[in-house]
Amino acid sequence: MDSLYLLIPIALVFCVIAIRLLLWAIGSGQYDDLDKEAWRILADDDASEASSSSEQGRRPPAAGDGP
Amino acid sequence: MPVATEALALAPPLACYHCGELVPPGVDLRVVIGGTEQPMCCPGCRAVASLIAANGLDNFYRQRTAYSERPQYTEVDTADQFRVYDDARLADTFSSTDTEGLVHASLLLGGMTCAACTWLVEQSMAAIRGVTQALVSLQQARLDIQFDPDQCRLSDIFARLDSLGYRPRPFQTSAARQQSTAEHRTDLRRLAVAGLGMMQVGMFAIALHAGDIQGMEARYQALLRWVSLPVAAFVVYYCARPFFSSAWRHLRQGALVMDLPVALAIGLAFAASTWATFTGTGQVYFDSVVMFTFFLLLARFLERRVRQRQMFAWLDAESSLPGAVNMRRDERWVAVPRIQLRAGDTVLLKPGETVPVDAEVTWGNGAVQEDTFNGEHLPRSVASGDTVYAGTVNVGDALQARVLGDYCDSRLAALQLSVEVAQTKKPRLAQLADRMASWFVGRLLLVTSATAAIWLYLAPEKAFWITLSVLVISCPCALALATPAALTNAANALRARGVIVRGENALESLSKCTHLLLDKTGTLTEGALSIARVVPLEGMDREELLDAAAALQQFSNHPVSRAFASRTAARGFTQGEHRLGAGIEAQRAGVTYRTGSAEFCRELVPAFPDPPDEDLYWIGLCRGDTALAWIGLDDTVRPEAADVIAQARQLGLEVELLTGDSSTQALRLAASLAIETVHRNQTPQQKMARVQALQGTGAVVAMVGDGLNDAPVLSVADASFAVPGATDLARSQADFVISGGDLRKIIETLHKARHCRAVIRQNFTWALGYNICAIPLAAMGYVQPWAAAIGMSLSSLLVVANSLRLNR
Repeated sequence: MDSLYLLIPIALVFCVIAIRLLLWAIGSGQYDDLDKEAWRILADDDASEASSSSEQGRRPPAAGDGP
Repeated sequence: MPVATEALALAPPLACYHCGELVPPGVDLRVVIGGTEQPMCCPGCRAVASLIAANGLDNFYRQRTAYSERPQYTEVDTADQFRVYDDARLADTFSSTDTEGLVHASLLLGGMTCAACTWLVEQSMAAIRGVTQALVSLQQARLDIQFDPDQCRLSDIFARLDSLGYRPRPFQTSAARQQSTAEHRTDLRRLAVAGLGMMQVGMFAIALHAGDIQGMEARYQALLRWVSLPVAAFVVYYCARPFFSSAWRHLRQGALVMDLPVALAIGLAFAASTWATFTGTGQVYFDSVVMFTFFLLLARFLERRVRQRQMFAWLDAESSLPGAVNMRRDERWVAVPRIQLRAGDTVLLKPGETVPVDAEVTWGNGAVQEDTFNGEHLPRSVASGDTVYAGTVNVGDALQARVLGDYCDSRLAALQLSVEVAQTKKPRLAQLADRMASWFVGRLLLVTSATAAIWLYLAPEKAFWITLSVLVISCPCALALATPAALTNAANALRARGVIVRGENALESLSKCTHLLLDKTGTLTEGALSIARVVPLEGMDREELLDAAAALQQFSNHPVSRAFASRTAARGFTQGEHRLGAGIEAQRAGVTYRTGSAEFCRELVPAFPDPPDEDLYWIGLCRGDTALAWIGLDDTVRPEAADVIAQARQLGLEVELLTGDSSTQALRLAASLAIETVHRNQTPQQKMARVQALQGTGAVVAMVGDGLNDAPVLSVADASFAVPGATDLARSQADFVISGGDLRKIIETLHKARHCRAVIRQNFTWALGYNICAIPLAAMGYVQPWAAAIGMSLSSLLVVANSLRLNR
């Protein structure tokens, strides 16, 4: 049981690292828009390509061929 | 109006596929979206929807969770007005160029209603040649775009956004906007730290609780207590700070708020646990402290997030003015940014444009529509020497005008100022939670001192710990969660039904409201003229007459002509001419046609009869020397209006009509809807005074409105609604924003507000009941720390579960 004296401080160090990481992510604006990101994962792949592609955006497969 | 009701009875009302408003009778516009024909309510919606469908972006309609806003439709080409943003000096205020030569710009988008809008905007921006990155933030309604200036221009981007039905403007960083982002981040940081801290302390606490039951060596117990201490200390110091500061701030003002028992519980439990850790005696409650902090932060974060879903707050009156104006410089007309205008400059006001500044007309005869200020939809004629005001729309011919001053001196700025003043005057109804808190704190302190006194007499060595456990067990977690949990769920449920809740405590205020005040134009009515009656004077049938009139109206952009916009105009009319304040004349096959006022028609047909009655806005139609017809126009009442007013009355509300309109139409409308109290010809200030007078007599007032002129009164009312089509300023002041075109949502919201209040009461009853049962047990010394932690969590969960019922 004496291993607790080593393991608990290690756990605390990891906890501090996790908090620091999270605070950094929040500070860099990654959590500023929670609504969009929650929705984006459900949208078509095109949505993520749209923001990165420099060429003409590919059209969604379902559309474009309509009458 | 027999015609309108008849048409309604024949065709069940259809909702516009784009904006969700009811398709007015007689309008037949359709767009094929995803292989199906969908109804549209107006040419504006049709234009936007066809553009979306034509670009293969109709996925937008499948993904969106809220209707889009109804776009403004203008015949004038809007692309030109954005050219000014290509001007380097203006562009520099909201964009920058990086080392690779790419331009980064930030735009504010009006009309963003749901996450699918971000998809639509990002997709269509990426399709523009030269755009390398487009990112939309829904919460800020902001587009960050990066593009190659050699391949596309800023004005292209603006024009594209405009054609999609959004209202792009340069994004100016303001203090309020930055503060809101900073607050959001701080809240998230606190929540994250509290969450991780809760897991850590919880782990140690389980070991400690298990040790309490099974027995554990004292040195391990001491170890676990000592490691819990710094984690809990950090959580209390960093995360729970807002509770302490708010409780202290209110206490200094002599107010007992819910934060006070919260701060007391956190502070005392933490202090006692620290004492126990140092002395190796008693009990520690670190887990309860941290868990409590996390739960409360979570509830408040969610509540705030629901309210901030859509930030109209930064849209002010100034942003509704055009960014570019045509100014006379060196004998030429040049487009310059509006902010560069100085008093004395001469500007050109084209037909259909919003007047950018207060100015005095120097040349031309025209008409301005001033519904911004008075809610009237018929324009005022202006000539040389008359003043036109910023924010009104030029519906006549082009005018030249001399600038009188900059934005700060304008009548519009005065209106905006009165909105800001009104906000500070808004009465704050005491919240149920805070009244409960003051009651609770008093009783709690009484019970605690009694416990301490009795145990000091019975067993002095136990007194301290038992008194503390009373304080900890009474920890008002469920009590503090009761309100935010219910409000969050009610707001979520309303959002799913198309009502966005923005105002703080608006649901509570609405549940107590006694008076419902309604604006007329644009609120009870559709806000636009439509054809109500046709009186043929010479054998031609109705459709033929209307098609001819529509053909004539094509030559004008007077508001009257919009009533005919949805009709297919008869062919063959040429040489159309719009005579201001009179009517329109055109030729077909050598015969002169005229439509307009009686005087204008009598110039051709001296025997033109008088209009049938005074109730409608009548325009005549004649051909050569024959009088053809009288066409009666009216602002159509929303079909559900009568129903809504009847229901509001059933719910015990007094209904009043407040309108800026001076015509007798208001009286007829009130009579047909059975509204007894009508205030006509009201300025925004008078409307405000009326609401304040009612509030002075103890009434709780709900106000429904749409226009810029309603913004001050919306901000002073206890609860306020902005209806579909409301201006940005009105939206930004309203507690509830209704999307889709249905006034019945007011009644739905009212029901939900009352239900929400009932749930809050149940939550309080439960939370207090739990405390009443638990405190005597603690006072008798029967409660272990693990039992306290479980009891607290269970009672909080029950409150949350009860609030979830509001989601249905």
